[in-house]
Amino acid sequence: MTQSELAEKIGMTRQTVAAIEAGKYSPSLEAAFRIAHVFQAKLDDVFQWIG
Amino acid sequence: MSFREKSAWIALVSVLACFGAYFGAILTGRVSGRGTDTLHLLLTCVVGFAVLQALLTVAASLTTPKDSRSARDEREQLIQTRSHTVGYYVLLVLVLGLAIPAHVGHPATDLLNFALLDVVIAGLAVSVAQIVMFRRGA
Repeated sequence: MTQSELAEKIGMTRQTVAAIEAGKYSPSLEAAFRIAHVFQAKLDDVFQWIG
Repeated sequence: MSFREKSAWIALVSVLACFGAYFGAILTGRVSGRGTDTLHLLLTCVVGFAVLQALLTVAASLTTPKDSRSARDEREQLIQTRSHTVGYYVLLVLVLGLAIPAHVGHPATDLLNFALLDVVIAGLAVSVAQIVMFRRGA
């Protein structure tokens, strides 16, 4: 799946998806759930918090 | 480059071009800074700014049609909020600074030009803040 395809599925811009992937932007909880839903994965499998 | 980032660049370029011409004319003495010649120049610059921004925005929307039709996503909304906060504080400081020329006896037309300059600088601060945040991927 390309960044553009993911962006379209979750209602964001490709640039925002790129920023999330690069770790430069932390999405909201709702956006994080949408991303996990697209990949049919658990939130913990898609996002990790490094304290 | 997203449509919102292009919009920030367009705002920056438009303000610099149109109001740069206005204040440049005052600083170089081509207009006096008061009177009808200055007023005509100001009106020309304001109209020019609106037209330039509209034309460039239409051009940008043609190159990114999907982005331009969709609402801001959460990151773009955050960037807009933060950049307007920057602009607010810049404007606040500059407007408070207007007290200096007011108290040293500058005429009202000079104060109006200073006030306009403050608004222009605050607008530039908003655009620059947006561009920096978009470029950094914030």
